[in-house]
This record gives sequence, structure tokens and C-alpha cells, in this order.
Amino acid sequence: MIDKQKLVKIVGTGKVSDREEDLETYSSDISFVNRVRPAYVVKPGTAGEVQKIIELANSTKTPLVPVSSGAPHFRGDTVPGNGGSIIVDLSGMKKVEFVDRARRVAMVEPGVTYEELIPLCTKEGLRLNMPLLPRKSKSVVGSILEREPVLMPGYQWDMSDPLACAGLYFGNGEEFRTGQAAGPGTLKDQWKVGAMQKAPYGPGTASLHRLIQGAQGTMGIVTWMSIRCEVLPKMQEPFFAASHDLDQLIDLMSWLIRLRMVTECFILNNTNLAALFATDVEDYERIKETLPPYILFYNIVGYDYFPEERISAYIKDIAVMNQRIGLDTAKSAGLISADAMLKKIQKPGDDPYWKLNLKGANQDIFFLTIYDHMERQIAAMKEMSEEIGYSPTDLGLYIQPIVQGTGYHCEFNLFYDPYSYTESDRVKDLTSMATKGLMNMGAFFSRPYGDEANWIFNRDAATTDALRRIKKIFDPNHVMNPGKVCF
Amino acid sequence: MALSKDIIRELEDVVGEEFICCDPAIMPSYHGSDLGAVVLPENTAQVQAIIKTCNKYKLQFSAVSTGWTGSFKKDIVYLDMRRMNRIIEINEKNMYAVIEPYVITAELQAECFKKGLHFNVKGAGSNCSAMLRGHGHLDQSTSGDDRNHLAIEWVTPEGEIVRSGALGSTDEWFCGDGPGPSIRAILTSAVPPGVTPGVFTKAAIKLYHWAGPPKYDIQGLSPKYTLAEVPKNMMARYYSFPSVEKMWQAEIRLGENEICMELMGFNVSMVAANIATCNEDDERIFKQLDKEKKGPGFFVIIAGNSDNDFAFKKKVLEQIVKEAEGESMKSLEDPETEGILIAQCTRVTASIRETFRAGGAFSSIPIMSQRDLTIKWAIGAGEAKLPLIKAGHIVDDGGAFFGWGVEQGHVGKTEIFCKFDPANEKAKAAVEKWSKEQGRRAFDESYFALMMGEVSDDIKAKMCHYDKWWIALTRAFDPNDVAPQGGPLV
Amino acid sequence: MGLEQYQGDVNMCCRCSACKFIPLQQVKSYDFSYVCPSISRFQFHSYSGGGRANIISAGLKNGFNYTDKLLDIVYNCQMCGACGVSCNYAMDMELQEPINEMRIKCVAEGKTHPELERVIKTLKKTGTMVPVQGKRGDWAKGLDLKDATKEKVDVLFHVGCLTSYNKDMHKLAKATAQILKKAKVNFGIFGDMETCCGGRAYQMGYEKEFLKQAKMNMAMIKKAGIKTVVTACADGYHAFKVLYDKYELKGDLTVLHISEYIDMLIKEGKLKPKKALDMVVTYHDPCRLGRLGEPWRHYKGKKIPGDRFVFDPPKEYRRGTKGVYEPPRDIIKSIPGVKLIEMERIREYAWCCGAGGGVIESNPDFAEWTATERIFEATATGAEAIVTACPWCEMTLSQAIEENESSLKVYDIVELVAKAL
Repeated sequence: MIDKQKLVKIVGTGKVSDREEDLETYSSDISFVNRVRPAYVVKPGTAGEVQKIIELANSTKTPLVPVSSGAPHFRGDTVPGNGGSIIVDLSGMKKVEFVDRARRVAMVEPGVTYEELIPLCTKEGLRLNMPLLPRKSKSVVGSILEREPVLMPGYQWDMSDPLACAGLYFGNGEEFRTGQAAGPGTLKDQWKVGAMQKAPYGPGTASLHRLIQGAQGTMGIVTWMSIRCEVLPKMQEPFFAASHDLDQLIDLMSWLIRLRMVTECFILNNTNLAALFATDVEDYERIKETLPPYILFYNIVGYDYFPEERISAYIKDIAVMNQRIGLDTAKSAGLISADAMLKKIQKPGDDPYWKLNLKGANQDIFFLTIYDHMERQIAAMKEMSEEIGYSPTDLGLYIQPIVQGTGYHCEFNLFYDPYSYTESDRVKDLTSMATKGLMNMGAFFSRPYGDEANWIFNRDAATTDALRRIKKIFDPNHVMNPGKVCF
Repeated sequence: MALSKDIIRELEDVVGEEFICCDPAIMPSYHGSDLGAVVLPENTAQVQAIIKTCNKYKLQFSAVSTGWTGSFKKDIVYLDMRRMNRIIEINEKNMYAVIEPYVITAELQAECFKKGLHFNVKGAGSNCSAMLRGHGHLDQSTSGDDRNHLAIEWVTPEGEIVRSGALGSTDEWFCGDGPGPSIRAILTSAVPPGVTPGVFTKAAIKLYHWAGPPKYDIQGLSPKYTLAEVPKNMMARYYSFPSVEKMWQAEIRLGENEICMELMGFNVSMVAANIATCNEDDERIFKQLDKEKKGPGFFVIIAGNSDNDFAFKKKVLEQIVKEAEGESMKSLEDPETEGILIAQCTRVTASIRETFRAGGAFSSIPIMSQRDLTIKWAIGAGEAKLPLIKAGHIVDDGGAFFGWGVEQGHVGKTEIFCKFDPANEKAKAAVEKWSKEQGRRAFDESYFALMMGEVSDDIKAKMCHYDKWWIALTRAFDPNDVAPQGGPLV
Repeated sequence: MGLEQYQGDVNMCCRCSACKFIPLQQVKSYDFSYVCPSISRFQFHSYSGGGRANIISAGLKNGFNYTDKLLDIVYNCQMCGACGVSCNYAMDMELQEPINEMRIKCVAEGKTHPELERVIKTLKKTGTMVPVQGKRGDWAKGLDLKDATKEKVDVLFHVGCLTSYNKDMHKLAKATAQILKKAKVNFGIFGDMETCCGGRAYQMGYEKEFLKQAKMNMAMIKKAGIKTVVTACADGYHAFKVLYDKYELKGDLTVLHISEYIDMLIKEGKLKPKKALDMVVTYHDPCRLGRLGEPWRHYKGKKIPGDRFVFDPPKEYRRGTKGVYEPPRDIIKSIPGVKLIEMERIREYAWCCGAGGGVIESNPDFAEWTATERIFEATATGAEAIVTACPWCEMTLSQAIEENESSLKVYDIVELVAKAL
């Protein structure tokens, strides 16, 4: 084990903890991964400190577990896989380097949350392509590194969006900057000529920003990220469309995105929509009762030039579409107004986190899929839930089109009481059963977490082999978050 | 070192006698290279078998599709991908197409148009592989570079198959990323040489909505094709502005307001090249447009998905141009010229007319990055062309550069050409000098670094030693060094 | 003349591959995107127009090495001109001419193809490119046609070798004669005295033999006082109209293809197709009537030194623009009950029937393969018949139809007109 003083020398006193209560916080999370206690929790304040930590870890073969968001954590990726690990908690690195309106880009350190960044962007007339209601403590960098689905699929040109560039240290301690940020020279050199680290390609043939996403910190530690932003609209007009027939809603949704008519666009089922707004279980039941099974939400916006006309033109065109599909759109769904929905999703969620509000714990099962398979997969999930004894009507469903409609993020949210062994076992078993069952039906688990990761990687031996070769290059001593992904 | 009879025989065993050739007669048509053999595989399994043979005998190989340019080491095994030219699937609902390397853009686009779809047409032209990593005139609305690839089937330099993303896990093409970190990090191109070693035998590419007709009603005979009419709810215009700053303002506003299907920062020399059906006309039309223009400009195509949408986009376009003191070039507004440009810039991208026709060769410095930054550099590079024009070394284009918006102006492409006669040694030398100097200036002044061809150590050092990682990656997948890097890819 | 004059042109080839495909904005589907039968069949880039240009460029620099493969490349080409049209959409450079000259060079240097040697031997002996069956004028027996060697006529109907000697093609000559008679045209034939135009010999690379035939024909034409030649064979049309002009033998002779002539007669009201035929047809543009039928342009000038590939005086390239495309179509449209549906590859970018360049003789499999592709394309239109304007096209397409057991019918334009009169 590393001598604590060596860590103190790097980050300073008060930034290294081996107190039981601190270690306990990071030993487990809401997921079902095993509890593994870390050796230290270290809170670096600068990139230089991060580099030194990595170098020290290499010299001592000490596992590092990078964490950028505050608690609670859900996926198991921030719980050590091995004993003797050091938690590298970056949540204190909160610098916002810039928010640049002209180039539509912001640069932040990993500890910056959505709650902190959104107002700064708003001030500049920009907004972020966000995930659905992240928790208050959620790191922007963390979310983007996890490839969490974003609400505005029309602005997600590539799976890596909204990541522009990143500065990081690979697992061997070497510094790297991806994309345009690679050079020439340092960031300061680049800023002098007005370069704002926007273009993600390269440098050279490889685009290594793709390697650090979905990696769960197994390739290195990101110390800053530049993030693509979108223009804040002058006017917004949100709508709901609701139906018992999911296929109808998906049809409409696919056209809205294909024709680039909308910004925020996704489907929730009544369970999730009610859970988003409910203050307690009673409230949840009350709201849910008023809601149809599936609800599509979309937002039409106008920018600087004739915003009303843009919105009006699209409303008319969507009406034509609806007629063909057989849907109506409305400004409310049950007790929930579209305006309230828009207001809610354009900022992080309140505390307590909505997924924990109902029962205290939540397990997400999510995968990527395509239109052709989704209905079957949803039906299968309901069957499996039924079989295991988790009421299908309690399943939360969230369908998010991704990458301009080339696929869908399909997510089931399983709310449960963590203090009930029956419920938690049931959810754990369902997670395992559903992952395997849905994989066999074409569900692509692109972001494998927890115990199921092993199954998922075994499915694609060639990619796994390739990733392991790559890992050897960037983290030859295997110090970065061992036991995660396929490493 | 000619390939031995045994090796030839082994390769023949895989592809058949008809599809392998080492005859010196064919080499001039293969980039004038002294190749070991040209082999034409039919499918992925054949590609694997060929590569495994190469590994067995430590032979180097390169795979090429249409192969517009390239440079190849002596004695390599050249995989001509011509027989792998199938469109595997066009998935309209999920907006992607799956293709083999020798499907050219024109072919895929013709089929996509029928379904109300299209995709990025690379500036290299629709005569090139649709699988190509590249950027083109339509980037404003159809993205570019490596961002249009979804899943890729990759035969590694060892002859193993890696299928990226959903393809490897669920046999679906819609996603190329995962599980976990994305292999697309290193699969950032199409058919080598010069890029990812190995062979891409299939790839899925993103498709986009096409608001135009299922096929153009083309009139006339080659070389002048016109459209019977400008398609409904489409319009093409060339706007010129009093300054680069004003042009940039308009460009960025158009992007933010999501108005253009195409925003092509043509200089008038390139507009002339597109319209003209011969070199003499090219020169004449350029001089005419050069007189008419107000200053730097760009060409746009707007396409409405409905009457409402078109009316709105047109209104905003005109307002933005007005605010930036831009003007539409009247001589390009006539429907015939408009139709020519719409067809060229969506179906052909005219690269041959823009590049090789004038003198027989051209030298280009392209950069895909932050557009306002690269424009700053390009202004200087353009000024540096003027003495070459005066000396008659390069075609007179007014010392212009060009470029275009990408992803509604989030990023952009800037490029600058020198067109010249390659048989003219003085011209060739002058162009080479210009290219070196401007590339170096881009680096020294921190705009960007050119990473094609030989890159000096000081550049690599100031670009996070990217080369070191790339070398390590290629070694990891190419332990027998059978997949050499070389030449630019088209 | 000679290959060397095209060194600048072949050096211009940038290997863009446009020559393999129809002009790119004309690509309407994946199935019918290619225009060059040679690259489509043989796959190696060397077989494309650009590949040939690269080989010629290297040969002119370093000398030609006549391997079997090189000769295979040279002789497996229908010389159809499609590559040149596609190339010249964007590029100012000669492509078809250096390909022609390469063939001529091979023959001049004794690098011949045995099957083509046999054909030329027949030509030298009998004045025809096809096996002799009976006499050349046998098809006209009983038709009481004027002998243009003896009587004054306004128009010489030059029948052509294939139509004269192939009994299956006699119907074309008879139909043509019937049509001209109906329109009361003062025409005649050379009958047994007719000799080959030499066009196909030129395509095969036998320049000397072609010139001999050309001079013989022009001598006969002059002697007979003929001012206008009409032919129903595209190869003949190309020979008289283009090649004789290229070699400055044509003088002020007017050369028309029968389709041009019939079109003119219909528009002048001298012919009236009246009978309704009730059929859906598609039209196949013969290469040497269409893109290669464009009049020759004599050019004397020089490249202007400097940055652009321009000439003084400006050089006008033959890009296929001025071939004969509309007259056959106008004829078809004027026949009652006939509906014309176009294939995807038409006019200046039509797919070849497969017969040209000596291929039908030297590599009949390749010719048939090429024709089969065309039959597939014709069938895809839904048409019941393919109409063409050249006996070589008709023969090659018919053979492919039979081989593939297709129900498609083939007609020459004169057959349709004769039926409708």
C-alpha cells in the first residue's frame, strides 16, 4: 500500500483521507456490485496533481478509481474492483475555463456539475445537450464520458457528442489532448490565436476521444473537457403526444428527428413521467392515473430570426404528419403540462434524485437498439418482469433516440426498496435475466456495468481482444480501475 | 523481389487465377508502382485469407478502392477492392446504409434518393468510395470526416475480423461504439493506405433526409447537363460579401439558425470550374465572376421539407445575407445555372473540374477544424499564392481559398489549392515551396498542424506526440508489419 | 497521326475512375451505373479507359512491353467511346483517340490477335468483314433497285457487310429499300460491287486496310457522282462520316444514317407511319451512331505554355454531344401505338451492345456478356422489345436474348418503320 505521506505530498493535507466513514462512502453504491473498500480517497485540485498520482500508482502498481460526480452513484464503476485502490475524487476540480458563444463551446474541469454550468451557458446565450434530469451532483464531464444519452438527438451528430476535446493523462501518466486541442503547442499557445478546442478529429489518424468514453476510467483520467454547446432559443414551444400504441409515437418521433424539427425529443411511459414529477408515492399514483401508457415529448424552438414563424411553420407541418399517423398533440398529458416538463428537463433534477424518490433505490437496465426490434424487446422485458414477480406496470421506460435517429437508447428503470431483501434480490435477478434475454433479442449493451459486463463482453470476443491490446498501450501497468469494462 | 511462384499459387488458390496479376503491363495503371501482385478479393473471407498469406510470408499489403491517388511500397500485395461493390442494406427507418468498399457515392446516392434519403458526398467526388472518411460540400447538414461511420467490419492486419459496436455483439449495423470504449477511435477511415491498417470490408454510414426529388430530371448532353427545373422547395445562390469578416458572420448565423442544406465557401474560381465545360470557358467565366463579385463569398443550397419550411428558410437566409451586406450574384441566379450547380453540388461535387482539369495537377492544403481560425490562416496562404500567379506558375484564381461549414457551422473545413501543370518543373517547385511554407506557418503560428506525408519531429512533439500512440496501436495489431502506412487516401 | 501526339493527353489522366461510370449525376440506380464493359467484366483497373491511358503514358515514356496481359487489355475493348464521354464531362483531354492509336500501334508492330487477323484476311480477299455467303447483292434480288454504278441516283444506300451477307439481316436491307421506295427517294445500291467501308477494320487497329477500303469507296462514290450516302449500319455511318473525314477523304459528301433520313422524310411529310403497332419499346443507342457519330473536328494548333491545359486556337473536344440521338427517338414516337420507355444508360452514355472493337470476333464470350447486361437493362424497363439502329447491335443483342432465353424482341428502327407504313 502507498505511504499516505506520498499522497499528501502531491495533493496537500486535508485532501487525502483514510477515515473509515470516508472509505465507506466509496466502498459501494446503489448497484449490486460487491462492496470493496478503498485504501484512500484522494482529492486532487489540479491536472498536475492528477499526473503525479498516476505516476505514483504506476510505480507501486496501485489501482486508481477516478470519480468525478458526487454521490449517489449507481453503476458500480466508481466502486473499486480490487483491494488497495485509491479513489481519485475529481469532484473538487470545478474550474470553468470558458464559455464561448461564438464557437459554441465550453471548457470545464471534471468536478463541474450541470447545475453549475447551465447558468454560465445561459448567460452566454448557450445551452448544453443534457441527459434526462441528471442528479444535482452529476459531473458534466462524467456524464459525457459515460456516453449518457442526450435529450436533443438532432444535435448528436456522432455518438461522442457533445464531447469536443479532452485533456487527460493516460494510465501510464503521459499527458494527451484529443482533437484540435492536441496542438500546436499548449492550450495557452492555442488561445493566443483564438483556437477554442472545438474540433474533435485526430490528431492524426486516430480519434482517441472515443477511447476514453465508455471506458469507466480504465484508460486514464480526464482533467478537462471542451463541450459542444447549442444556441439558446429565443422561443420554445413544447408538446406532448400520447398513445397506447408505442409504434405510433416512435413513427412520429423518427420523423420529427429526421426532419430536424425538434430539439428535446423522447418517450417516457406513465411510470417514469409520474416519477419525474411526483413528490412522494401518493403523488406518483395520483399523477400516473391520469396518464396514458406512453407519452412522447418534443420541443419546437425558434432562434434569432423570426422565431414565431419557425415554430408556426413546424407546428403546421407536424399537424400534417399527425394526421397521417393518427395522433394528436397536446400541451399537456394528464396532470402535467408540456411547459412544466420543458422547465424540468432543462435543468438537473431536484434532490432527492427522482429515481430514488419512490422507493429509495433504483436499477437501470439500458441498451441501444433499433426501431425494428424495440417493441419485441419491450414486450419481452415485461414478460420477464412478470415471471420474476416485478410488476410490469411498475417498470419505468425511457426511449431516447440517439445520433440523429440512427438508433434508440431504451432504458428500463426498476424502483425498489433497498432495505427489502426480497425486492432487491428480485431486481438483481431481473437485471441478470433481462440482460441476457434482451441480448439474445438484439439489444446492444454498449455501456456494460456491474456483474453483467462479463456476459456482454464475452459476446464479442474480437472487440474484447482488441480493447485489451489497446489497454496495454495506454495503461501498461493496469492501474486504471481494474475489474471494470473487460479489463 | 517478385513474389515467388508458391506465393502466387497460394493467392490464386484463394481468389482464382483470373483475379490475380503480377504482369508488369498493368503496373502503370496501378499508380505506376512496382507491385508484387494485384489481387481482387470478392468477399471478407477472401480478404482474410489473403492477409493471412501475407502474414505467413511477411509480405506487405495495401487495400484500395477506386484509388484516385496513392503511393505504395515496392512489391506489396495490392488488394484492388473492385469486386467488393455490394450495397448490403439501406435501412430507411434507422437512417443508415451498409456498403462494401467499391460502392461509389453516385451509386449509393441514386438508391438513397429513391427513399428520400441521401448522405455526405465527399469533395473527392461521387466517383469515389461511399465508405470514404472525408468531407464535402454537404457537410453543413450531413456532417463529415469520421463522424458518419457507424459499425465497421474490419479485417485486421493479422487477418482477424473485428466488428465494431453493435455489429460484433448483435449483428446490427446501427452503432459502431462499444461495448465499452469505442474501437472507432482507431477505425477512422475507410480503405487504406495511409490510415487504419487492415481492410474495411463493410461499413455502415449515416443517412440523412433528402428533401429533393427521387431523381433529377436532367436535360441536355454531356458536358452540359441542366435540370429541367429547379426542384420544388430548393434554391441555390452564391452570395458575396464586402469582407471575410462579414462573410464569416453570415456563415455562422446561417449555421446557428440551421438554414442551409449546403454551405459551400466556394471562391468564384471554383464556381466557374463547376459551370464551365472546358478550360477556356473556365477562365472566361472566372474573369466575369471575379469582376461581378463584391468580395469573398459562399454558395448555399436551401431545401425545405415543406412549403412552410422553405419559405421560412428563404426568408431567414435573405435577412442574414442582408445584415452582412452580402449580395446574390445575379449572373448565377438564372434557373439553368442554378440547376447546374444544384446537380453538381449534390450529386457530383465536381472535384475533377475543380482540381485536375485546369493544369493536370493540383496541390492542396486542407484542414478540418475550427473554421474561423483556419480562415485566418488561409487569408495569408492565399496572399502567398499571388506571386505564383503573377509568375504564371499556377492557375489564376485570385489567390483565393475556400471551405465550408460542417454540422451547421460547429466546425468547418478550409482548403486552398494551387492548380498547375506537373510537367512544368518550375511551377512544380514553386508550388511545393508554397505548400511547405504555408504548412509550416500554420504550425508556427499555432493554427493547426498538417499531418499528411512526412511530419517533422518538432511538429509531432507539439502535437502531444500523437505519432507515438499511433505507432504503438499499429504495432499492437500488426505484429508482422504487413500493413505499411503510405500516401493519402481517396 | 500516331500515338505520340496524345502524350500530353494521356499524361493528364489523374486516375479518377470517372471513365468506368456513366456521368455521375446521370446515375439513377446501382444496377446501371457502369458504362465501360471492359472494366465491368475484367475488373482490373488496367481495363478501364484511365487504366489504358496510364499504360500508354508509361509506354510512351519507357517503351512498350507487349506481354500477353497487355494484349489482353488492348483487345478486350469494344472501342465504344464511353470512357471518353465520361472523362470529357470534366476533363479536357483526348481519351478515345489514344486508345484507337494504341490498337493501331499494336497491329503495326505485329502484335495482332489471331481471330482479327483472320477477319482482315477475308477483307483483303473479298472486300468484306464477314464470311462470304453468296453474292453481296443477293438480298436485293427481285427488288428492282437502281444500280448506282450505272444509273444516276441522288442517294447511295450503302448496305454494309453484315446486312449483305447474313441472311438473318437481309430483312434490314429490304426494309430500308422498301422505306426509301415508299418515300419516292431516287436511290441506288452498289450491289455486288459494294465493298466494305473499312470501319470495323479501323476499330480492330488495321489502319492500312481501313484506308485502302476508304479510298476504294470514295473512288467509287466519286465515279458514280454520288452526293449523299445513307447507311443503316452504325459502323458504316461512323466510317463514312467520321473516319473518312478524319483522314481527309470525305470531301463534301453528305453522310446520313437511315434514322436521320427517315426522320427527315417523316417531318417533310414524305413518309407517314400509319399502322398502329401497339408495343412498348426501349431504344438502344449504337455507339457509332451516338457518341462516336459526332462529326470529326480537324484541329491544328498548339498547347499554350503556362498554367492551364489550353490551346491556341481553342481546341474543341468531341465529347459525344453531337451524335445522332433524337432522330431514332422521334421516329419511334411518330409510330402510332408505340410507347418508348428509356433505359437508364442512353444517348452519349449508352452501354455498348458488345460487338465493337473486334470483340465479337476475338472474344465472343465477352461480347455476349456485354449484350446480356444490356438485355437485362432493357428488360428492367418493362419494354417488350429493344429497338436499335445497327445490324451489329441487332445481331449481338439477338444472340444474347437467345442465350438467356429472354422473351425480349429486337427490332431495327427500319423494321418498325416498315411495319408501320
